[in-house]
Amino acid sequence: MNMASAMMLLSLTILLVPLINTTNYKSNLKPYPDYIKTMIFYAFMISLIPTIMFIQSGQEMMMLTWHWMTIQTMKLYLSFKLDFFSMMFMPIALFITWSIMEFSMWYMHSDPNINRFFKYLLMFLITMLILVTANNMFQLFIGWEGVGIMSFLLIGWWYGRTDANTAALQAILYNRIGDIGFILSMAWFMKNSNSWEIQQIFMLDFDNTTLPLAGLLLAATGKSAQFGLHPWLPSAMEGPTPVSALLHSSTMVVAGIFLLIRFYPMMENNKMILTMALCLGAITTLFTAICALTQNDIKKIVAFSTSSQLGLMMVTIGINQPHLAFLHICTHAFFKAMLFLCSGSIIHSLNDEQDIRKMGGLYKPMPFTTTALIVGSLALTGMPFLTGFYSKDLIIETINTSYTNAWALLLTLIATSLTAVYSIRIIFFALLGKPRFSSLILINENNPLLIKPITRLLIGSIFAGFIISNNITPSTVPQMTMPLYLKITALLVTLAGFTLALELCYLTQNLKYPNPSTMFKFSNLLGYFPFIMHRFNPLTTLHMSQKSATMIMDLIWLENVLPKLTAKVQQNLSTSLTNQKGLVKSYFLSFLITMITTLLLFNFLV
Amino acid sequence: MLKTILPTIMLIPLAWLSKNNMLWINSTMYSLAISITCLPLMNLSCDNSLNMSLLFFSDSLSTPLLLLTVWLLPLMIMASQHHLSKEPDSQKKLYITMMVLLQTFLIMTFSATELIMFYILFEATLVPTLIMITRWGGQTERLNAGIYFLFYTLAGSLPLLVALVYTQASVGSLNLLLIQYWNHPSIQVWGSSALWLAYMMAFMVKMPLYGLHLWLPKAHVEAPIAGSMVLAAILLKLGGYGMLRITVMLNPITNFMTYPFLMLSLWGMIMTSSICLRQTDLKSLIAYSSVSHMALVIMAIMIQSPWSFMGATALMIAHGLTSSMLFCLANSNYERTHSRTMILARGLQMILPLMAAWWLLASLMNLALPPSINLIGELFVTTAMFSWSNLSIILLGINIIITALYSLYMLITTQRGKYTYHIHNIKPSFTRENTLMMLHLTPLLLLMVKPQIILGTLY
Repeated sequence: MNMASAMMLLSLTILLVPLINTTNYKSNLKPYPDYIKTMIFYAFMISLIPTIMFIQSGQEMMMLTWHWMTIQTMKLYLSFKLDFFSMMFMPIALFITWSIMEFSMWYMHSDPNINRFFKYLLMFLITMLILVTANNMFQLFIGWEGVGIMSFLLIGWWYGRTDANTAALQAILYNRIGDIGFILSMAWFMKNSNSWEIQQIFMLDFDNTTLPLAGLLLAATGKSAQFGLHPWLPSAMEGPTPVSALLHSSTMVVAGIFLLIRFYPMMENNKMILTMALCLGAITTLFTAICALTQNDIKKIVAFSTSSQLGLMMVTIGINQPHLAFLHICTHAFFKAMLFLCSGSIIHSLNDEQDIRKMGGLYKPMPFTTTALIVGSLALTGMPFLTGFYSKDLIIETINTSYTNAWALLLTLIATSLTAVYSIRIIFFALLGKPRFSSLILINENNPLLIKPITRLLIGSIFAGFIISNNITPSTVPQMTMPLYLKITALLVTLAGFTLALELCYLTQNLKYPNPSTMFKFSNLLGYFPFIMHRFNPLTTLHMSQKSATMIMDLIWLENVLPKLTAKVQQNLSTSLTNQKGLVKSYFLSFLITMITTLLLFNFLV
Repeated sequence: MLKTILPTIMLIPLAWLSKNNMLWINSTMYSLAISITCLPLMNLSCDNSLNMSLLFFSDSLSTPLLLLTVWLLPLMIMASQHHLSKEPDSQKKLYITMMVLLQTFLIMTFSATELIMFYILFEATLVPTLIMITRWGGQTERLNAGIYFLFYTLAGSLPLLVALVYTQASVGSLNLLLIQYWNHPSIQVWGSSALWLAYMMAFMVKMPLYGLHLWLPKAHVEAPIAGSMVLAAILLKLGGYGMLRITVMLNPITNFMTYPFLMLSLWGMIMTSSICLRQTDLKSLIAYSSVSHMALVIMAIMIQSPWSFMGATALMIAHGLTSSMLFCLANSNYERTHSRTMILARGLQMILPLMAAWWLLASLMNLALPPSINLIGELFVTTAMFSWSNLSIILLGINIIITALYSLYMLITTQRGKYTYHIHNIKPSFTRENTLMMLHLTPLLLLMVKPQIILGTLY
């Protein structure tokens, strides 16, 4: 097993090499982006070795490598946890990053700062792997904040655009709200267990774990864009498409779910937090699915579908099936990354057109992208024997046979059928029918840098679920038998969604009602959420800081009470006493007061 | 200690005797050499303090601050070059003399054994700072700022003198090393509360505590760049240092006297950081962010637990370097656009990409990105506050959000977006400026590897 840990560290260190080599890299070998991509490929291949060994032997590991500091009674190490979750996720993250890097070489080829873009993506990958492999909360927090900052930088990649900057700031703001939860639970664990090492925390038996777990849930809500803190994810689509594919679908946004999976030994004993996670997830998955229904921006639709899938993962956590949630993270990464790459391919080919109403008929000029997009969408909806089926169907079955909150389960089922609706909408509007884009555009998708990554992810979207679920040991006992109607519910709701959506698409293809219905407005305006939260809250806060903090307190009260009052009193006293105005009475009075004070002081003190 | 103090004093003749074209190089190199000779002070062989003589000592609390002080002098000299380029040479030399004088006083303050000597030097630092603000400040408001600075600090610290005289009379010694064995005053007497206030007020004003902070934004904004740097980096830390030293001897009274100050700091931290959200003036924003960070230090010292003391010390060092760097960056903008208004210098990333990288790193440090020492400080303080009262996490959490917001607001406004037309022909960033930023950032990054050395006496 020593080899496994060494290999794992090797694949982590390989990623650092291009960063160290930035300044002395010889550009005559091959372009720097290509170099980074190759290094990631090596790291992926190397990381497969320990993963295969892990699958074969099932031996988990923990590595303490470097003693950082000891604070009083607490030791902080640089420690890595190589367990089921990190061992399985690392190759997947590396594989997807490798594909997306290659795609970015095509997508970003005209960007003058492409080297920096790749460096950012690489730094993001490193922080993500730190997050996944961390064994103590501090190290996890390093990765956690690292991915947040990298997402800030990457969303704001086109920094000349106001929208990009706003979206970047929004992402940080919502993530920071989540960070409060993280810091809260760090402080709680520090106080109550005197340790941030995860396995040491699990060893102890706490009386009441609701507070730290609520903190972790808040953290996951922020990072994984659950309801309430979700608006940053669709806004993050302002970033370049490879960024959306890597950060905002497959890796960074699942970090919140991953955190809860890490802490499941603690969560499974706390029913209240589980119920909260269940309800939160159910609301998220339905709400964001509804929002996805009427969007016209292709990336926004995919983003909302990501959000909806994250809600589904949260539901899975809520029914106490962390391993299933993890399986869904793994499978979801493949087809969601591919969906983004496909939309990137379409957007790039149509000269940066993102509106699905201006696409149409793309199956003829872009057959390959069309194939990939359709397979990805089918995998997303849980078409049998595609990747999504292996996790999603299992989740729905487990939900159906569990005894928890029926309301949350119902919401999840509705959201599942809506998945089919928005997927068919993309396919219908972007790919089928007649072209609605400018006829002067030259479409060419025959670039190996575009074809190869999508092909890889396409193969992944078809087979990854089968391979992964075949190679992991079932951790919880699966439900062996269930009535037929429960078994096929997932399929039925999806099929219902498909047929309904297809009919609706035909209906609404040309027709536009003069006055959109309230339901449409609710969905199209994202549940009025941005209007309420993004206008009212900043306005009140900024008003408060301007009016009460700056004006009333700093400029008026504090200024007048101390310095100006003192100055005024002194000024008045001196003007009235020094200028000879013939005020004999007050002169005598001041003389008298002085005399009396002196006498009294002498009387008492001496 | 003399091997640091005497060379520092000798910087004055060096400045006056240097050839005019060698003035900056000589003084920078010489002060950098001094700061390197100070590094062995870090090597504390055991937990005890390093008693150099009867007058001077250093221990693991004062050494980081001492090193910060000596490290900052070359940086200040480097930062002022452009600002003074149009002044006559004698003025430049006078300016360097002032910085050196301030430096000497600060070194002696941080290493003084006797409290009364500490007090005298604490007051003495006001003089060169005042001269720097009122003589070399940018606009006429500098006089007003100087008055605020002087009178707030003086009025705050006069009771301290009385308290020190009283203690000397009743105890017989003001030696810091002996004072922990002082017979603690009883809680019942109201006089002991007054004593506590007298001891603490001087440092509270210096920190500054919310409500007594008005001098700080004024002084920081109006001071020349070196003045802003030294104010933010070191002079505020004098308050923290004094509080950390004095609370040891005031112990039983502190337990109930702290509540109003804790509340005020918790509240003031949020108020000042929300003021930052509405600032249009770059330097004023950084100044207010200092107030908000220092409120954390005050709270940490008031909590009086080992974690909070460690957090306070770490945060002081981290904030010293970070805010000084931010002031330098603001100054580099000011030297190009001749205005402190943020909106006049936007979109600079397009023109000065390397400077944008420094801005980014400085902002990230300011919002306490892990694993920076800023985070270590803030995390320790938060943990200590959380174990004091669970509810305080709400206010601290709000402050964490607002800190991130204004740091990034500053970054986005100055660096991102479209650039304006009037910055078409600004100067590129000089090697001097890049070196300056790097010299700020290097200690911040290196300390991440071994934060123990700035965690103070209780580590």
